[in-house]
Amino acid sequence: MIRTQSIIYLFLCILGAIYLVGGLSLPMGTVNQPGAGFFPTLVSVLILCLSVSAFVLSRKKPTTTGERKPVFPQGQDRRRVIALTLAILSFVVFLKPLGYCICSAGLMGATLRLLGLRSWVRIVIIAVLTALISYYFFVLILDLPLPIGSLLF
Amino acid sequence: METFNGLAYGFSVAFTGPNILACFLGVLVGTIVGVLPGIGPIGAMALLIPSTYSLGPTSALIMLCGIFYGAMYGGSTTSILINVPGEAASVVTAIDGYKMARKGRAGAALAVSAAGSFVAGTIGLVGLMFFAPPLASLALEFGPPEYFSLTLLGLIFLSRIGSSSALKSFLMVALGLLLGTVGMDLISGVPRFTLGYLELGQGIELVPVAMGLYGIGEVLMIAERITGIPDLIKVKFCELFPTSAEWKKAFPPMIRGGALGFFLGLIPGPAAIISTFAAYSLEKKLSKHPEDFGQGAIEGVSGPESANNSATAGSMVPLLALGIPFAPPTALLLGALTIHGVQPGPLLMTQHPEIFWGVVASMYIGNAVLLILNLPLVGIFASILRLPQHILMGLILLLCLVGTYSINNSFLDIYILLTMGVVGYILRKLDFDMAPLILAVVLGPILEKTLRQSLYYARGDAWAILGRPVTAVLLFIGFTAIVFPPLVRRLRRAHKEGSVHS
Repeated sequence: MIRTQSIIYLFLCILGAIYLVGGLSLPMGTVNQPGAGFFPTLVSVLILCLSVSAFVLSRKKPTTTGERKPVFPQGQDRRRVIALTLAILSFVVFLKPLGYCICSAGLMGATLRLLGLRSWVRIVIIAVLTALISYYFFVLILDLPLPIGSLLF
Repeated sequence: METFNGLAYGFSVAFTGPNILACFLGVLVGTIVGVLPGIGPIGAMALLIPSTYSLGPTSALIMLCGIFYGAMYGGSTTSILINVPGEAASVVTAIDGYKMARKGRAGAALAVSAAGSFVAGTIGLVGLMFFAPPLASLALEFGPPEYFSLTLLGLIFLSRIGSSSALKSFLMVALGLLLGTVGMDLISGVPRFTLGYLELGQGIELVPVAMGLYGIGEVLMIAERITGIPDLIKVKFCELFPTSAEWKKAFPPMIRGGALGFFLGLIPGPAAIISTFAAYSLEKKLSKHPEDFGQGAIEGVSGPESANNSATAGSMVPLLALGIPFAPPTALLLGALTIHGVQPGPLLMTQHPEIFWGVVASMYIGNAVLLILNLPLVGIFASILRLPQHILMGLILLLCLVGTYSINNSFLDIYILLTMGVVGYILRKLDFDMAPLILAVVLGPILEKTLRQSLYYARGDAWAILGRPVTAVLLFIGFTAIVFPPLVRRLRRAHKEGSVHS
């Protein structure tokens, strides 16, 4: 836990530094007439101070047995989380070329399979039905302009 | 008299077809998300903001408010029946509620919790009606320095009260402020941190951030540990009547919880959650049999359940009277109003009385509807838990993705949603509280605008800001909230070490 937290604090230090550079490149103005870069610079200094303090404190803190346990899941559980994230990413990437129906059926199918449904027949039926009903609801009832893709649905 | 005229006008607004329907849908969805562990009121409100675009601002706010307070009612059902709180504000209810259910008094616990929610919700609404108008009149005198100090105080309080450490909460605030600076500078029009994307010129939308952190983040957490369908304790309608002795014990905590919750709702922070713990401690202290608490004491159900409902009404006061949200759900309400072109604040009651009084009246109606929904139909709501998790999570994912896309028809928003989802998952795993981040995204632009206006106004004279009494008091409270707790901790430690040595 502590090691992972230290990495996060370090990441925030770097983010704060990049943000500071970005803030300083904007018009700063004066104290009486602050410009666009004034507030971002203040915030970046705040992020830097807080993340450096948190990083130093996390390194000083003695590690207890409970804190040595891994923060993120291992083995099968980890694979499931990564696979679901990739399924969502695939939905976003393929939404424009393939259209909403195919992508939503794919995402629903992947979610059902990853979260424990074993029967492929049921997965296909639920995924296709969800895609069609949600398409009808979002596009035909709510009139949302969802991408239709090259297959025109 | 003016208040009652306003309320009568509010009822005439709330009793129109679209507003009644919005109120019913809101409280129904609120009850469902309250029952379902995982997706809480914040996630549900974020999910449904895009669906309110076709509604008017009054109907939209009525529906979203319905979700907010409806979730407080529904949350107790699973706490009592299966010992799994539907949302964070019902954690305390599970302590004695589930024990009562194990003793065969589930019906009484559910009835007391619904009745307490109704009584306290009404107390909270009366408070909202009488507190908000004078506060709004007072706020008309406020200038940028007062708004700056009030916003800053809100962020400081939220960081101090949140569930994670103060340092972690302050980091979340800073991260939220960072996200709030992306986009065109409001005063000079200079693009900031847009990375060349024109769409980012409008800034980062609140909806993908909230949906990502609370919706996608929660789905990823659930994907980690697959659980089966829980065993439910069945409750028959005839069992929903507490005995007269139980009523006698449960009624005073409802009143006390209602008053306590309302005042805690006025303070920045997750008031609905804090009020339940405060009400539980209060009832335990006042009880002649504190040893019964934790063993199925009915006061341990009615006090906290009442407090969380009136806290929701209390937290509406700063939003509607000052235009400043002090809790994440009210931040989403502000976001929704802004999308509809309405700016909440001291002028809301005079410029848009239909919104203020319509929402207040709808909350009275919603409370009555919730009482009806949550007593006879409790079995139906509890059976929602039998819906397989994989189907529910798939539907939530689709709603998040389509809802985000439909705001601006922008793929960039969906990428932001996914990124925030992964960030939300990591933050949960590392015990970071996300409420300060969400609130800072909303309050950041207000903080920046009022700070810069205050500096223009002061022209280098610090006394022009610090000499204003309201600003001075608020800044002093904020300073004390930062400095005092660690100082007290250090003094206590020194005192303890001293007594050990001696």
